Amino acid sequence: MEHPILFISLILQALGLPVPHTPVGHTLLEKLCEPYMTYTWMVMIFLIIVPKLTMGKLEIVPGSGQNFWEVVISGLMDIFEENLGKKGARMLYPMMATFSLYIVIANMIGLIPGFMSPTSNWNITLAMTIIVWVTHHALGLRYHGLKYIKHFLGPVPILAPFMLILEIISNLARLLSLSMRLFGNIMAKEILLAVLFMLAGAFFAPLPILCLGVLVSLVQAAVFVLLAVSYCAQAMEPAH
Amino acid sequence: MSEERKEMFRQLAIYSHVGMTFVLSIFLGLGIGWYLDYKVFDGRTAPWLTFIFLGVGVLAAFKTLWDLYRKLMEK
Repeated sequence: MEHPILFISLILQALGLPVPHTPVGHTLLEKLCEPYMTYTWMVMIFLIIVPKLTMGKLEIVPGSGQNFWEVVISGLMDIFEENLGKKGARMLYPMMATFSLYIVIANMIGLIPGFMSPTSNWNITLAMTIIVWVTHHALGLRYHGLKYIKHFLGPVPILAPFMLILEIISNLARLLSLSMRLFGNIMAKEILLAVLFMLAGAFFAPLPILCLGVLVSLVQAAVFVLLAVSYCAQAMEPAH
Repeated sequence: MSEERKEMFRQLAIYSHVGMTFVLSIFLGLGIGWYLDYKVFDGRTAPWLTFIFLGVGVLAAFKTLWDLYRKLMEK
């Protein structure tokens, strides 16, 4: 489902770049001009420029901009420390904080007309989930060595191959469900907004959904990051 | 954020995940079985691998529940 007007796509079209009208483009250039790609870059640029602008130089007595970012950063750190411990939180902080800020912004911009949420495309959420999935298994291997594989074999040796298949399926399901949930929620929000705008936009029909959209955006971002953190915590915790 | 709300979010993350993982495990098992039946073995083994892997998928789904239960009991 496309938004009626996406201003970046319009600009790109005016520049003569091929913006695909199908969900997935055919050539590389078309793929790079997909709305979800361009809006991802927009969020990235936003996340790079806005903190720079609002923070300026770091001062001992923080101004309002620096204060805001300090609260955000230390709040995130508190949440991660609870789950991962001090060392783990410090190690994983760049990745997890980036995920949370990116997902919040990416979910939120879909509420503004002319923008779309990059997270309403499965490619984006699946990419993020694969990163989390590979990271938590890599962490498990790093912390436990080859013993990590033993976790998957269960207690009974005869049943080990069977348990391995079970674990593979449930791990892949984890991969799918984590990406599908974020994608599904944001996609539903986008479609609902688009339909309500078309049906009764003049009577402010989308307004309640916009309010709900703010809630959904925040909750889904929090849930994604908390699950990613708890998977990593699970992989890192000492064997019993 | 207060302590209670943090805990609430954590619980929300964990439990809202269970239902989806449960369903997707079953469908993933079914999908793997179907793929093996019709793409790898060209329908010679149909419908047996589909059924077997559907069963495996259901078991994997229950295993995620069992793991969650065990984690709760540890607390």
